[in-house]
Amino acid sequence: MGKKYENVFELLIETTVYKKKPGRNRHDPTQRFVNPAPSKRKEPLTYDISRRPSNSVEEEPKRNKNKLVSLPSLQAIKQEASQFKMLTVSVKWQKKVFEGIEIDVSLPPYVFKAQLYDLTGVPPERQKIMVKGGLLKDDADWSSIGVKDGQKLMMMGTADEIVKAPEKAIVFAEDLPEEEQATNLGYSAGLVNLGNTCYMNSTVQCLKSVPELKSALSNYSLAGRSNDVDQTSHMLTVATRELFGDLDRSVNAVSPTQFWMVLRKKFPQFSQLQNGMHMQQDAEECWTQLLYTLSQSLKAPTSSEDSDAVKALFGVNLRSRVHCQESGEESSETESVYSLKCHISHEVNHLHEGLKHGLKGELEKTSPALGRTAVYLKESLIDSLPRYLTVQFVRFFWKRETNQKAKILRKVDYPLELDIYDLCSEELRKKLEAPRQKLRDEEGKKLGLQTKSSSKDGDVKMTDAEAPSNESGESSTAAQQEGASSSEKGTHMTGIYDLVSVLTHKGRSADSGHYVAWVKQESGKWIQYDDSYPSVQREEDITKLSGGGDWHMAYIIMYKARFVSM
Amino acid sequence: MAPGPDPNSVGDGAKRDEATIKVPSKDPKKKDDKKEEDLSEEDLQLKQNLELYVERVQDPNPELQKAALESMRQEIRASTSSMTSVPKPLKFLRPHYGTLKEFHKNMAESDLKKLLADILSVLALTMSAEGQRESLGYRLTGSEGDIGSWGHEYVRNLAGEIAEEYTVRQGEEASIEDLMDLVQQIVAFHMKHNAETEAVDLLMDVEDLDLLLEHVDRTNFRRTCNYLTSAAKYLPGPDDMLVLDIAYMIYIKFEEYPNALQIALFLDNMQYVKQVFTSCTDLLRKKQFCYMISRHGITFELDPEMVENDVDREMLQDIVNNTKLSEGYLTLARDIEVMEAKTPEDIYKAHLLDGRASSGPSADSARQNLAATFVNAFVNAGFGQDKLMTVPSDSTSGSAGNWLFKNKEHGKTSAAASLGMILLWDVDAGLTHLDKYFHSNDNPIIAGALLGVGIVNCGIKNDCDPALALLGEYIDKEDSSVRIGAIMGLGIAYAGSQNDQIRSSLSPILNDAKAPLDVIAFAALSLGMIYVGSCNEEVAQSIIFALMDRSEAELGEALTRFLPLGLGLLYLGKQESVEATAEVSKTFNEKIRKYCDMTLLSCAYAGTGNVLKVQDLLAQCGEHLEKGDIHQGPAVLGLAMVAMSEELGLDMAIRSLERVLQYGEQNVRRAVPLALGLLCKSNPKVTVMDTLSRLSHDTDSEVAMSAIVSLGLIGAGTNNARIAGMLRNLSSYYYKDASLLFCVRIAQGLVHMGKGLLTLSPFHSERLLLSPTALAGIVTLLHACLDMKSIILGKYHYVLYFLVLAMQPRMMLTVDENLKPISVPVRVGQAVDVVGQAGRPKTITGFQTHSTPVLLAAGERAELATDKYIPLSPILEGFIILKENPDYREE
Repeated sequence: MGKKYENVFELLIETTVYKKKPGRNRHDPTQRFVNPAPSKRKEPLTYDISRRPSNSVEEEPKRNKNKLVSLPSLQAIKQEASQFKMLTVSVKWQKKVFEGIEIDVSLPPYVFKAQLYDLTGVPPERQKIMVKGGLLKDDADWSSIGVKDGQKLMMMGTADEIVKAPEKAIVFAEDLPEEEQATNLGYSAGLVNLGNTCYMNSTVQCLKSVPELKSALSNYSLAGRSNDVDQTSHMLTVATRELFGDLDRSVNAVSPTQFWMVLRKKFPQFSQLQNGMHMQQDAEECWTQLLYTLSQSLKAPTSSEDSDAVKALFGVNLRSRVHCQESGEESSETESVYSLKCHISHEVNHLHEGLKHGLKGELEKTSPALGRTAVYLKESLIDSLPRYLTVQFVRFFWKRETNQKAKILRKVDYPLELDIYDLCSEELRKKLEAPRQKLRDEEGKKLGLQTKSSSKDGDVKMTDAEAPSNESGESSTAAQQEGASSSEKGTHMTGIYDLVSVLTHKGRSADSGHYVAWVKQESGKWIQYDDSYPSVQREEDITKLSGGGDWHMAYIIMYKARFVSM
Repeated sequence: MAPGPDPNSVGDGAKRDEATIKVPSKDPKKKDDKKEEDLSEEDLQLKQNLELYVERVQDPNPELQKAALESMRQEIRASTSSMTSVPKPLKFLRPHYGTLKEFHKNMAESDLKKLLADILSVLALTMSAEGQRESLGYRLTGSEGDIGSWGHEYVRNLAGEIAEEYTVRQGEEASIEDLMDLVQQIVAFHMKHNAETEAVDLLMDVEDLDLLLEHVDRTNFRRTCNYLTSAAKYLPGPDDMLVLDIAYMIYIKFEEYPNALQIALFLDNMQYVKQVFTSCTDLLRKKQFCYMISRHGITFELDPEMVENDVDREMLQDIVNNTKLSEGYLTLARDIEVMEAKTPEDIYKAHLLDGRASSGPSADSARQNLAATFVNAFVNAGFGQDKLMTVPSDSTSGSAGNWLFKNKEHGKTSAAASLGMILLWDVDAGLTHLDKYFHSNDNPIIAGALLGVGIVNCGIKNDCDPALALLGEYIDKEDSSVRIGAIMGLGIAYAGSQNDQIRSSLSPILNDAKAPLDVIAFAALSLGMIYVGSCNEEVAQSIIFALMDRSEAELGEALTRFLPLGLGLLYLGKQESVEATAEVSKTFNEKIRKYCDMTLLSCAYAGTGNVLKVQDLLAQCGEHLEKGDIHQGPAVLGLAMVAMSEELGLDMAIRSLERVLQYGEQNVRRAVPLALGLLCKSNPKVTVMDTLSRLSHDTDSEVAMSAIVSLGLIGAGTNNARIAGMLRNLSSYYYKDASLLFCVRIAQGLVHMGKGLLTLSPFHSERLLLSPTALAGIVTLLHACLDMKSIILGKYHYVLYFLVLAMQPRMMLTVDENLKPISVPVRVGQAVDVVGQAGRPKTITGFQTHSTPVLLAAGERAELATDKYIPLSPILEGFIILKENPDYREE
């Protein structure tokens, strides 16, 4: 930097040295007072021209001196060193005004800038001084600029650091490749309707919201296919995996052509035609079949019963008591299902009632005691809880009288948070007791309430619904083990579930209408996947899908378990 | 008016006349004799008397005649009943009108004849057929006595007949001297009897308003001038100027200088402005004038003739130069307590949208950051601080630098320039902040800094001309973005200044064959701004040549539209002066010819309310053309520009635009929202808001975009909660469409412009004056919005900063005699139109009392709520100097 200034700037540096000895300078006829008035420094600011190293500049004042002596304007200047023509100007810089700065017109404006440097700390090359007709140039001639005595000049410039571009260039979303833009959106793409395939699209979207299923699928190829899985199931599993991957990567709607082909191959009922078009299908059927296929193919090669990933995620173990009133026989049986049914009768207004209703049934079977068929009452209770609880609203039924499939439009409310404690078996309830207490304490604390046991459980952390889903990426087996018993890792089921996806049907009849998926994202947003158009929805609108009108109504809903760590 | 009898029945049948008289509460179908029976004793007596007089008048004896006439006159004058029904004497005399007329015709010239003529003149009031002007005829032959003695209705009728007669005589080129005598009398009468409006009407009819000057006095000049100024809006051609001229002279006569100045500014007559200064001797009042001029945004140099003392002149010039605007604005901001800087997020209020909160730490979107830059600039405009650009940078990674670099390429131009907006009007601080960007090695940043300098200096004049000194050097730089930055900066900083030095440096660019199109376009635009409304021939020439030099391909470019626009701005509001240039424009390449035509027409008649031009433009909008024609856009905008000046025309324009929307082609529909935005800038009318809200969901995305931007314009600086809510919902509706979302963000920034302290309305002084530079700024933006995709959504988004020309604090700030702000109580309420109302009606309604400084919304007016001070201007807007009232007594 120093080199750039060359002689005049060096001179300036000397100035700062010399002004410390004002006594000597005062008698020096060649030196000038610069700005005696408002400078922050008390002593007059001076510099010594005689010490200037350059000869050419030194000669200049002499020449001017001779020329200027006779000029009448000299009289205006009262300073002792008034042989030279001086102009007194004030300079405005930012909000400050420096009065009475003298300009020696014999010297190039650079000297003036050097004066200002001392006052303002702005390096001369950063100074911009406005004069008539533009900026003051370093080598301009004062006489041609036309600065008048007493004029107010304006200076612009700062000593601030010059802005530099950050070393790490900022990456803009617009420059990103397509798949990364997708992650920016916070939700994945929609699926193109290939002709009445909304049942499939909505099913896929709902199932895709289960991260554990995704990770299980991604491990699938590694595990290789076990021998007892047939070719088509394998293909379907692979197609599912690919489709999920495509959805995550894409911004625009994905066309599920491959998946659809394989699905139809595996389940020929989906390729039924009607008037040359593919028929509308039941989403529940698609859902069940797809899950079944996946559960078959995702069975770990070690093939123990517990390692069925799908079952671990969705399977509900039911323990039923079958009771015959006539004979008083009683037996118990267990079964495993992938979804609970919510039966809709005239008394059912709420999901809970429907579930209870669904767990009770009558069946006719031959009674060994009576020796004929008798009516048995079957009451089921949940024996083990799944990670994801699927509930199907039994809205479609076969009307015997008319030989038609009919739809029940009845409004059945469902909550965003479902507690199925009272549907559980005694043993399970006992297991749930402690975690539920923790959960209640946690919630109480959250609300700022002091509970009795809170002091003890201060360190208890409730893992949010997301926590297990994040770690599930590690391995599917971990998820499997957890799903069934969920005790080893310290997280416990609470019997409380949060709504994560809703598959709705719109339309009055069972054979036509439109399926749409409503899925909660990890960010907490609800997205409506209407084939290729995802759109954001409000949470309170999700509970309005409970039926009772012509709006979308829930057909299959999925809840995610809430865990508490102990 | 009395019931008009059948024109053919005058001479012949008294009987038929009788039948047509409407007698209140009586069945007109009754027969004459029956009616007579119904008359009361008194009336019967009167009737008989009158009949007697009529007979006597025809008596040969002059004595008797005279007595009869006198009595008749007595009777007529005595009947003071109002004109809701025909006065009885007149009614009873009606059957004899024909007889008397006949008799009068045959009478010899005498006083008596004149007397009779007087009476006939009065009788003709109810009897004369339409178009006969008998009343006037008899009046002229009559005795020329005091005209008022026959009552108001008579005078009024006479005035009407004079107007008719005048036109007839004008056609025949006959003398009108006798009429003018009568006019004199009538005007004098009207002016004395609170009927200024009628006096003015009559004088306008006979085209001799000068007479008014003799008859106005202290008591009625205000009402007179009020009527004159508001009537001027509806007058055609040169008449309106004439009328305002008279109003100006009246104001000067009664030393009502602020009003006189207002009219002088309206007329754009600097001679008059000067006269105001020379006629007024009070320095304090002159200061007030300077504030008024500064608000109008014109460049005005005081000379020693206007203000003698040098020191005073300098101080006044400072006011004209707007140097204190920033200070006043900040005083207002501090008083309202909105100094705290706002971030774009404070404006978006994303938390009010469900589940739409940002999805974690995603990558920066350049588009959204650019939008945030603009929002930040608009919202914090003039406050000198914000949370993105001016935060002090720490040593390693200054956050100011950071934000700048969060914008991409040309986005950095807008980001750097946003500093200018944030430090608006504060030249010193602004230049300080911008300085460091001059030394950047990144061209877009330098361009932004240059533009920023222009913005900071917008509306502020400085003796040192810092903008010119700084920007002048960059005009001919290599990089075109830097050039554009400098050129646009000059255009903004020197809008309306007619600075020759800039012209001589910008004009060569226009005709430089090597210059890129965008540089030429911005040069033309800047010249248009600098010479706005000047009709400068040289500039016009340069732009015309530049237009002619453009190749076919260049004419198809979006930016080319700035050339005709620049040309149009030269003639902004200058009406006929544009004709020569418009003629030249007919020779242009057909691609641009019509666009140029429309732009010139709309600019020249902007704010005039000229109905014929509105019709022309409407006709253009209604055409259904092949694709590719772009001239309908400016036609729609022109419609709004012409009609925007007065309320009635404005409402009609809004209605017509609805029709245009329904029947127009797509390119017309795209311009309609913008036109609506122009009509209601910073004036969120609910109906317009609803229309725009509807259009913002239009299937055509360009219609939607312009509707969204217009929502921002109509709500600009109002903080209107309803629009803010609409925009918030739109932001969630369009969150996937980056372009539309950008528009929504811009609109959000506009609505909260200056945190609600600013307005974009070019109208001020009770909507009378139209600031040409402000209008130029808005019109430029709107023209840019006609092709949103290639300009604002392209790389020329900084044209948004042209809005700065229209940005003004919507405040009323009272200052004392030393120009220090003082707080006084004021009433702020909805302005009431009091033109033509008798007495001293209230000028505001539904008012609330605040203490100054206060904000004035569109259509609001303030009045002082204390007698302690006297405002030096009757128009309480902007800076108002208060003088202590010497008569004030503390209670």
